[in-house]
This record gives sequence, structure tokens and C-alpha cells, in this order.
Amino acid sequence: MTNGDYYQLLKLLAPEWTVVGTVLAILFADLQFWRNRSVAWRSAGAASILSLGFAAAAGLLIWKRAVTADLLGGTLVLSPTSQYVKLALLGLAIVTAWLCTEGEFTKHVGEFVALIALATAGMMFLVSTENLLMVFVALELVSLSLYVMTAFNKRSPRSAEAALKYFLFGGMAAAFTLFGFSFLYGLTGSIHLPTIAAKISWHAGDPLTLVAIVLVVAGFGFKIAAVPFHLWAPDAYEGAPAPAAAFIASGSKVASFFVLGKLLSVGLPGVGGSGAWKAFSPGWLAVVAILATASMIFGNLAALAQSSLRRLLAYSAIAHAGYALLAIIGGSQPALLYYAITYAVTSVGIFGVVAVVENRTGNEDIAGLAGLRERSFLLSVALSVFVLSLAGVPPLAGFFGKFYAFAAAAKLGSSLGYWWLVALALGASCVSLFYYLQVLKQVWVAPVPEGQGKVAGGWVVSILLALLALAVLVTGAAPELLIRFLK
Amino acid sequence: MSLTPGLHHFLVVSALLFSLGLLGVLARRNLLVIYMGLELMLNAANLALVAFSRFNANLNGQVMVFFIITVAAAEVAVGLALIVALYRKRQSAHVEDLTSLKL
Repeated sequence: MTNGDYYQLLKLLAPEWTVVGTVLAILFADLQFWRNRSVAWRSAGAASILSLGFAAAAGLLIWKRAVTADLLGGTLVLSPTSQYVKLALLGLAIVTAWLCTEGEFTKHVGEFVALIALATAGMMFLVSTENLLMVFVALELVSLSLYVMTAFNKRSPRSAEAALKYFLFGGMAAAFTLFGFSFLYGLTGSIHLPTIAAKISWHAGDPLTLVAIVLVVAGFGFKIAAVPFHLWAPDAYEGAPAPAAAFIASGSKVASFFVLGKLLSVGLPGVGGSGAWKAFSPGWLAVVAILATASMIFGNLAALAQSSLRRLLAYSAIAHAGYALLAIIGGSQPALLYYAITYAVTSVGIFGVVAVVENRTGNEDIAGLAGLRERSFLLSVALSVFVLSLAGVPPLAGFFGKFYAFAAAAKLGSSLGYWWLVALALGASCVSLFYYLQVLKQVWVAPVPEGQGKVAGGWVVSILLALLALAVLVTGAAPELLIRFLK
Repeated sequence: MSLTPGLHHFLVVSALLFSLGLLGVLARRNLLVIYMGLELMLNAANLALVAFSRFNANLNGQVMVFFIITVAAAEVAVGLALIVALYRKRQSAHVEDLTSLKL
């Protein structure tokens, strides 16, 4: 390792430096100059600084989009795909930051927006490494930022409680992941994923290998909220401030899916076993297939019974984690990333609408959306696009996300061994239509309640929501536009 | 019979520590004791890493342990802050009182 390596490292990490610099700039500006301003002014200011900084980082990413690098034993691995995923993460963070201008949940907006940027930095590191140590450190940076963001609404007792539950489950997940990592390291003598891949196949039937796989998958199962590790999700979604919930549902999901897919396909390709019909053999494919099955069934059934909009979104997120796991099983990175990114864009959009509506009406139930068509046409249309995309109605992005994910799983193996999983996923999607349409029924059919005026967000949030809805439409109508960047 | 402990001794101890920690997290009712369980789980992973590092004859595992200790400290800071925030609202640090969100 020479000094040249480190210089190279500094240059390649320019976007990450910019993001970290943005964190400091936001904190400095908020603490030094804006103490006497109103909270609304400060949140708009912090979001503006974040947008400028992240736009600069995005510029650097686009400028160096063709880069490929593998430095310091897999600690920093860059490819065009990872650059595009980082771009998506930056975009999601910008939207999340602007959501802070909807609703005044804390006086410390500068710190909150800085935490969004810090979590983004963690996610960017997470998607650009093939080293177990770096995966762990980046994952913890993301998680710790998100725990604190969840607890930020000091006025609501639910916020602290949600954060505590999120923290306890997340801490357990981290311990599981680490224990699994220690076994992977013990079996192969390396923390570098390709080296692990080369050596782990010698231990294919070893019980220790299986324990390691189960522990690692369980740890990441918590992050992506797959059943049976989903318990934190409904509480965190319900109790957290809207921007925090939006970021948990979007950015954190994209990064976690990316790294889980990479871990399994790059690090453990030789010990997949099989989850095919009547040909079950132990390995991560079997474990992931079980998680996917449980998530799709439980997530969709539990969502049917919800009256709170945020809990409905949480259970729908659990079901969607199940669908996305099909893309991981299929081993198709483009399918997984297309799914994760379009899903994240959709959820951040829905949480945007939720934030605006809750802020104006104070009602968190699905019934609170009653008659939204008369109260805000823009929000109604945007919400319908997002919800229909989640339901998987063509030609929206959600349809093609599911199509690619299911097709990847169906194509795996020689004789359609995973047909049972795909059939289950299709059935589960049909069930999910019911609760998604319930939401739309409130918006378009239910009578307008007495004495409820117009609902309107700030102009920046309105523009961003319209752009997100447009993005869902366009990437759905022409999926090639997005997917060619992810190959 | 040799009295030097081998790799499997360390692994058994580490698995025991991990199980004890998990039991503490799942069965105890006081939040602070639950935290101690979490720490025990992390330290079980540390012990396994150090043992593997010794027997694999490379230092990757030990380096990882240093990072884990540091991150665990940060995690405790956040966790204790969360307990304090909750205590101010509820005057309690027991999991039975975390009921405003249905599980």
C-alpha cells in the first residue's frame, strides 16, 4: 500500500467529501447565523444548503460516472452502477430534506437535516464497498443517524418510543450480522467478499457456514423489514417524524437491498443451496425464499386490517421487501436495483403527501384522506400515481419492478423450480390491490367532510412531489431509461 | 491431554455469551439491562473475531474488533439518549410501559 493509493482514495471519494462538507456547512450556518430566525425559515435554509451540496456531489458523480476502481483490498469498489445508485440516494435525500419544511416537529431543524446528510454519506459508503468491516461501519453510520432522526419529535411520546423499538431491534440486527461476519471471517480468513467467495465453497455443507448465512441474512432481514424481523417497522413508521419515516422507507431500503444482494451474490455464490420446489437444499437461497414467502403473506394480510395510513405503508413495505427478495433470489442486480429505486421514489412521494396532509389536518388515518380530490387536486393525482405504482398497475414503475423481479426468480434454474414463489407473489399482489384501492377510494369517492378547507404544501414540496410522480410514470412507461444505467 | 485452549473452546464461550445476551434482550424487562444484553452480543462477536484472527494467523479480525468497540460506544451513547428522552415523557424505563404504539 503506497501513498499513491491514499491520494487516489481521496480523489475517488470526492462526492462523499462533498456530502460530509454539506453536513458541516448546515450545522455551522444553523448554529452561527440563524439562531433568531423562525423554524420554518431555518428548515428551508438547511434544505437549500443540503440541495446545493448534494447537487455538487451529484455533479461530481456524473462527471466520474464511468469510473471503475478497487482500492485497499475491496474497501472502496466503484463501478458505474454504484455511481448511479449513489445519484438516486442523493435525490431521495434532497426530497427528504425538503419534507422537513412541512410541519414543525422540532426546533433543531439544522441538526435534523445534517443527520439526513450524514445518513446519506453512510449509504454512499455502503454501496461502494466489498469489505465486511466497511459494510458494518457504514451500516452503523446509517442506522445510528436514523435512530436519532426517529426520536426527533420531542413533543410526541410516540416518537421516542418508536425510536427505542427501532434501536433495540436494530442493535440486535447489528449483533446478528457481526456474529455472522465473524464466522465468515473464521471460515475463510478474509473479510474481502471475492476472497470469501473463492474459499467458502470448500465449506459448502459445513454447519458453521449455515449458521453464518442464517445470522447474516437475519441481520439484514431486520434492515429491510422482512418477516419475521419486521416488528420495528410499523412502530417506527407511525411514531417517527414524516421525513425520518420517508428516509427509512426509501434511502435506507435502497442501500440495504443493494448491499444484501451484493453480499449474497458476490460473497456467497457457492453456498446458495436451493429453494426450488421439491428440491430444497440448505443455503442462502432457501433462507431468503422462506423470508420472502413469510413477508409477502404476512405483510399483505396484516395491511388489510390497518386503519392508520402510516401502518398500512409499513405493512405494504414488508410485503414489498418480500417481492424484492425474489430479485435477490433470481440473482439479477438490474432487477433488484430497478425495484428498490422505483419503490423508494414511490414511498418517499407517498410520505411527502402524508406529511402535507397530516400537517394541515392533524389526522393520521386513511379516513383523513376523505375527499382529498376537492381539497388538493395535485396531491390527489400524485398520491394515486404512487399508490397505483405500489399496487403494480401498468404502465407505472411498480409494475415493471415486479415484472423484472418475478421474471428473474422464474428464470432461475432449469425447470422453473421457483414457480411456487412466483405464483405466491402474483397472488399476494392481487390481495394487495384491495388495501391500495381502499386508500384511493377515500381520495376519489368518499364524501368531502364538513368544514375541511383546502390542503396545500409549500411550493418546493409541491414541485418535488409532481416531479416524483412524473418520474414514476416515465420510468414505468419507458423502463429502459432507468434500467440501462443499472446493468 | 493438552491444557492450551483451542479454537473450539473460544467459539463455545462466544456462542454461550451470544445466547446469554440474546436471552437478556428477549427476557428482561428493564431497558438498561436489555442494553447490557446487546453489548454482550456484540462482545461475543468480538471474542469470536479475536479467536479466529489468532487461529487464521492474520490481523483482519483484530482490526475489526477495534472498530466494533468504537461503534458500540457510539451506539450506547445514542441508546442512553433515547432512554433519557423516553424517561422524560413516561417516568419509566420498563418495556411494559412502551405501549402507546401497538405491537
